[in-house]
Amino acid sequence: MSAHNRGTELDLSWISKIQVNHPAVLRRAEQIQARRTVKKEWQAAWLLKAVTFIDLTTLSGDDTSSNIQRLCYKAKYPIREDLLKALNMYDKGITTAAVCVYPARVCDAVKALKAAGCNIPVASVATGFPAGQTHLKTRLEEIRLAVEDGATEIDVVINRSLVLTGQWEALYDEIRQFRKACGEAHLKTILATGELGSLTNVYKASMIAMMAGSDFIKTSTGKETVNATFPVAIVMLRAIRDFFWKTGNKIGFKPAGGIRSAKDSLAWLSLVKEELGDEWLKPELFRIGASTLLSDIERQIYHHVTGRYAAYHDLPMS
Amino acid sequence: MAATRAGPRAREIFTSLEYGPVPESHACALAWLDTQDRCLGHYVNGKWLKPEHRTSVPCQDPITGENLASCLQAQAEDVAAAVEAARTAFKSWSAHPGVVRAQHLVRLAKVIQKHQRLLWTLESLVTGRAVREVRDGDVQLAQQLLHYHAIQASTQEEALAGWEPMGVIGLILPPTFSFLEMMWRICPALAVGCTVVALVPPASPTPLLLAQLSGELGPFPGILNVISGPTSLVPVLASQPGIQKVAFCGALEGGLRLLIQESVWDEAMRRLQERMGRLRSGRGLDGAVDMGARGAAACDLVQRFVREAQSQGAQVFQAGDVPSEHPFYPPTLVSNLPPASPCARAEVPWPVVVASPFRTAKEALALANGTPRGGSASVWSERLGQALELGYGLQVGTVWINAHGLRDPSVPTGGCKESGCSWHGGPDGLYEYLRPSGTPAQLSCLSKNLNYDTFGLAVPSTLPAGTEIGPSPAPPYGLFVGGRFQAPGARSSRPIQDSSGNLHGYVAEGGAKDIRGAVEAAHQAFPGWAGQSPGARAALLWALAAALERRKSTLASRLERQGVELKAAEAEVELSARRLRAWGARAQAQGHTLQVAGLRGPVLRLREPLGVLAVVCPDEWPLLAFVSLLAPALAYGNTVVMVPSAACPLLALEVCQDMATLFPAGLANVVTGDRDHLTRCLALHQDVQAMWYFGSAQGSQFVEWASAGNLKPVWVNRGCLRAWDQEAEGAGPELGLRSARTKALWLPMGD
Repeated sequence: MSAHNRGTELDLSWISKIQVNHPAVLRRAEQIQARRTVKKEWQAAWLLKAVTFIDLTTLSGDDTSSNIQRLCYKAKYPIREDLLKALNMYDKGITTAAVCVYPARVCDAVKALKAAGCNIPVASVATGFPAGQTHLKTRLEEIRLAVEDGATEIDVVINRSLVLTGQWEALYDEIRQFRKACGEAHLKTILATGELGSLTNVYKASMIAMMAGSDFIKTSTGKETVNATFPVAIVMLRAIRDFFWKTGNKIGFKPAGGIRSAKDSLAWLSLVKEELGDEWLKPELFRIGASTLLSDIERQIYHHVTGRYAAYHDLPMS
Repeated sequence: MAATRAGPRAREIFTSLEYGPVPESHACALAWLDTQDRCLGHYVNGKWLKPEHRTSVPCQDPITGENLASCLQAQAEDVAAAVEAARTAFKSWSAHPGVVRAQHLVRLAKVIQKHQRLLWTLESLVTGRAVREVRDGDVQLAQQLLHYHAIQASTQEEALAGWEPMGVIGLILPPTFSFLEMMWRICPALAVGCTVVALVPPASPTPLLLAQLSGELGPFPGILNVISGPTSLVPVLASQPGIQKVAFCGALEGGLRLLIQESVWDEAMRRLQERMGRLRSGRGLDGAVDMGARGAAACDLVQRFVREAQSQGAQVFQAGDVPSEHPFYPPTLVSNLPPASPCARAEVPWPVVVASPFRTAKEALALANGTPRGGSASVWSERLGQALELGYGLQVGTVWINAHGLRDPSVPTGGCKESGCSWHGGPDGLYEYLRPSGTPAQLSCLSKNLNYDTFGLAVPSTLPAGTEIGPSPAPPYGLFVGGRFQAPGARSSRPIQDSSGNLHGYVAEGGAKDIRGAVEAAHQAFPGWAGQSPGARAALLWALAAALERRKSTLASRLERQGVELKAAEAEVELSARRLRAWGARAQAQGHTLQVAGLRGPVLRLREPLGVLAVVCPDEWPLLAFVSLLAPALAYGNTVVMVPSAACPLLALEVCQDMATLFPAGLANVVTGDRDHLTRCLALHQDVQAMWYFGSAQGSQFVEWASAGNLKPVWVNRGCLRAWDQEAEGAGPELGLRSARTKALWLPMGD
């Protein structure tokens, strides 16, 4: 992965005048989904590309080392070998972008990936995921412990109460401390957009998170009632573009939660392509947080290659 | 495992992540053309009409130039046949209860739904427009239009009591149009009981398909007839006996003008350019393009415009993923165009946007209103107060606040100034095809003898006509302009006789200069009057009514001199006062809120004043007709220039004495003189926003002809007398409809 975002000094003038136009964002969100599709080989190639953006995730109370091991194996071999051969893509080393687990499972994941002989990064959620309602001290400690266990990417949740009460400086300071606690690990900041109240707040929180040094901004934990939606994504992508125009730093984007179908993933790819351009379509700058998406993509690839719809048992479970 | 179907390109695409073609099969469109042996005629009375010995025009794919079919060109006799079919159909169609028409429209909507793929592929194939636009926009809206108007038809007997369908409507379509524009017009026409003959330009198969779908529904084959032919047939259609109205249809949406506040100019331009760079253009039948192409002619037009703009000093920015070959043209942003250059005044062609900066919202409004066009506009602002100020101030038919291009069948769409004054959709659209019950049908025989160059040009000279033996006090003298009586520019007078042929008095002989002064005075008074609340306007009209009653004996005696019995004269004065009061009260309702499917937020249907309204009063009912026309015009916020009864203008001048003390200067101006001459001056004045004429058939014809110069709405009587003392004709809803124009203000909401 590339160098970190060093962040900038807090400049509240970057957010003070911002006002997001809700109906206009909704219209644009509708348009993008209706105007861009890909078919045939383009669809297959795009789907394989989407696989390389996936943060293959399991965040369940019943996670144990055995299902983490299975997840890691799936991350390494996301698509059946014969399908990749048929597409002449076997040598492309297609794996998912990362695996994403709870802090307590980081060790299991690191071990499993090592055993599989690959260097797929392990991402850990942290800072009192998913609500963030724990003491700052424990949240920071959580990050340090996850990094110690071998996580190279940390998905932190922000303190929503700071956004809702407009304490932007305090939010900036907290994320700054997360950044420091991460050390060499990448910082992915989850905005939990479903709980921020308005699109204007989404923009402001995005900008603060980037100024404070986040390498990625991420839509949601997957545990809120509203997860990754197109309107929210458009606002975050515009914030990323504005930050790039102001500082020259490219910040990554990660939608998560509710992205289950192959078709959805294609729409997300074209959204990023339309709003930010092809430079953002690489795992360093774009991730999709998902757990069941991969199997639907594999199913679609199977159909593309064979012309038949796969039976449940045709594809390995993850 | 089954055999591999994967192509070789996935590997490259995996790296480039480019978009691929998403072709929409148009096999069904071609199959439909095959059913006609690739030769399209006309669709008349539920049957295909393919007369022999007609020239034909090829229908081509605008992008490849491939010949899709040949289309027969109609001749005058084909037009006559279509009108005849529509006339026959009108008899039964209009006689059926609204519910029957509603059912038929719903059935047509269902047929469209069943064959929508055929419709959208055919439309996209022959127009080159992006199939997505047609499929997700036009075809869906076409069905909604039918459903909406079906509901209107089903309640016609109650909701539109007192109105009847006009008859056969001639619909003229421009060279480039969307079939949706046709639907906006035929749906209300059919709903209220009219039948339609549409003259479509050569090589437009979609209207023919629609007519076929409608015709094959059964019992009413002749309600929609489509003939295709050259523009030379337009006068032929318009002058066919039985055609009651000719409706025109606008061309496809052209380019746009964009006004950006100077303080955000750089930022806005940067974002605009960035976004333009991502637009994709290609064959219309590709499902993933933003824009198609509109054929060679449109491409040449835009090329010429951009070249000229460049030579006039403009900066041109072009971007987007656009095929390089003819007739594709990239989205183009033109800026720095000097305001006085010809291109800055010209109509902007598709796909061009001309951007110019402004400093204040006030300046933006002046710039936006300073064009002859008045169709639609959108306002983008996060400040509610500012957005509303602009929304109300823009002189256009539709304003979208923070949105663009939304349409709904229940929202009237129209325009003002040169965008035309007809309305589609909503209740306003229905009235376009209705007339008050009992109005005589329009006789479409225009007089060929009327010389437009000389009509009303010269004023016959008038000489002193003997001694004045009028009642005292002497009647007021002068033109009532700008709030006071003024001597006419010509410094001459015309005698007015009473019913027994004696001289009743002299009135000033007004002329072109006086009309100019009166229009100017009315314009000065307009902003203040239009800005008044309806309540304040009503108060003033009521005050005038009271003044009229105080003046009752003078007015009655003047009417008596004109041969009216005293009782009837007093009744006329009383009725006039009642009219003033009634309109003051009616104009309190200035519009209402509409709720539109799929939109969060309201759409306001506003009734706005037209501006300066010219009114030429009839000879008869010298007081009542004058007041009956004055009252609604003022109540809705217009200022007026009136030409009173030529036979007896003295009654109006009496009223002016009260207006002089009660009204702000310039609100109502009254110019006496030769009616034909004053009519000519008013009809040819480009800054008069609407005109009502009640005089001769010739004068009516002249007013209609002259008003084409600024496309102002006109209302003429074609020489027919009106019963001004009857409620329906003297104070009916028709006057209210004609006194104001509608504006739709879209207010989407959300935080």
